[in-house]
Amino acid sequence: MSTRTRRLPSLGGRRTLALLAPLLALDVLVFLVPTAYLLRVSLTARTPGGAFVEGSWALDGYRYVTETSLVHEILAFTLFFAVLVTALAVAVGVVYAYAAWCATGWTRTLLLGGAVCSLFTTLVVKLFAVLLVYSPQGLVNDLLRAVGLASEPVLLVDNLAGAVIGQLYIVVPYAILAVYAVLSSLNTQLVEAARDLGADGSGVFREVVLPHVRPGIAVAAVIAFTWSVGAYPAPLLLGSGSEQTVGILVSQLLLARFDWPAAAALSVVTAGTVFGSLLVVLWRLDLAGGLLDA
Amino acid sequence: MSAWRYVREAVHRAAGRGVVAVLLCLLVLPLAVVVATAFDASGAVAFPPRGLSTRWFSALLASSTWLQALLNSLVVATGTSALSTAVGVAAALGVRQLDEGRRRAVVALAVLPLLVPGVIIGVTTLTLFSQFGLQQSYVALVLAHSLWATPLAFSVIQASFARFDWQLHEAALDLGATPIRAFTGVVAPNVRAGLAVAALVAFVVSLQEFVIALFLSGPDTRTVPVAAWNSLRQSLDPVVSVVSALLLVAVVCLVVVVGALAGVGRFASDL
Repeated sequence: MSTRTRRLPSLGGRRTLALLAPLLALDVLVFLVPTAYLLRVSLTARTPGGAFVEGSWALDGYRYVTETSLVHEILAFTLFFAVLVTALAVAVGVVYAYAAWCATGWTRTLLLGGAVCSLFTTLVVKLFAVLLVYSPQGLVNDLLRAVGLASEPVLLVDNLAGAVIGQLYIVVPYAILAVYAVLSSLNTQLVEAARDLGADGSGVFREVVLPHVRPGIAVAAVIAFTWSVGAYPAPLLLGSGSEQTVGILVSQLLLARFDWPAAAALSVVTAGTVFGSLLVVLWRLDLAGGLLDA
Repeated sequence: MSAWRYVREAVHRAAGRGVVAVLLCLLVLPLAVVVATAFDASGAVAFPPRGLSTRWFSALLASSTWLQALLNSLVVATGTSALSTAVGVAAALGVRQLDEGRRRAVVALAVLPLLVPGVIIGVTTLTLFSQFGLQQSYVALVLAHSLWATPLAFSVIQASFARFDWQLHEAALDLGATPIRAFTGVVAPNVRAGLAVAALVAFVVSLQEFVIALFLSGPDTRTVPVAAWNSLRQSLDPVVSVVSALLLVAVVCLVVVVGALAGVGRFASDL
């Protein structure tokens, strides 16, 4: 596909820029500028009378983040929650994507179609479905009792389990497709060769498939982790009061308490933590190169 | 020895299939349950439904707030689809002429918003847009949704451009066609399916988006997911099941159409 354009370089360059301008404008105006503005708001003085003191410079917001112990607890819980969800989502994503890759014909269409449907379904409907199916009177508890795995209803909503299950429904489809996208470039002949050389099913998976999907796993983990650090609706609807995440606190500060410097500072600290920890992890695992390929 | 290995592999394979079947059921069945509750005759949202009825569909049609939400969702999704597809086509044409390094930088910038949680995007856009009185407007929603829809449309279009034989485009230019004429007359007809998929994906992403819309929409611009969320948080209105079923139908239509145009497998790896 690398065909050379035959027009003059300067004209081609200008046209390229014109074609890219809308994308750059959108990302700059709706993403970078608002982010910079949030950074500015995080450095203003807090005021009980409105959102923030216009034009002021202060560290009030950051002081609130560093000095309030409740904020520390919420930050710690959010990171724990995100790591838990990420581990589970990546495990499910790898197993599911590998099964879809191994399957043929209708089975593959069904598995991928299910994942794509779930991906595009609004999380409100998914969380509503989780609420219906996992509640004490729901289908899952009926099944558990029917097969004798539980005599009492198992509490799967309004607690940590509920928040995690709800968040998994949001991130697992992304994890599946991120892994599948990389798997789809795996040569089946490689797997056959490994089998001919005497590897069994789990050997093929460990020695051939897993090394190949590492970039997909990295993308899946990054998406699951960042989205779970920003988790908001799942813990709010399916958790109890103790499953407070940073997202919930930020929206409270912003919309209910009109404390914009604190909300902005907390957002900045969270985003900084996320990107910092991602960089460290990716650097340690040496997966950064693979991430940009996918 | 080899018989033993054969048995062990068969057991492994059966267990693997069982696990995947359970995962598929867990992924999809709750959504089917929601659809079933939409046809429940009683006033409580329950499964299995006690008696079938379409009374809640009538209730939806009789409710001006739900109809307003549907209209808002359609307006915002149409706007997002048009904007994201146009921006995506232009950018996909633009990056073709860039060298490897610059192309990666553009792709990275385009994809970056997808890695930022909705809460953060909602907060940042709300704080800035409210300075211009743009919060709670359709424009704000379309722009914010396009931030997520554009990279997806862009990557679908890019993938379909990669399968197009660009020498045809060269030939059209050599024969004297203007760049616009060469695109509409030669490129577009050949990548029609890709463009349709991109527009559809952008539409559905906007239709289903919730967290950003929660921050950016007001009483007059509330979209369906936000209205459904409000209802879930307060008193559970059975109409929620009905709108959920409608949203699911939209998704299934997308997947079926896309599957027919491009094949689900290719779509799943292009995304």
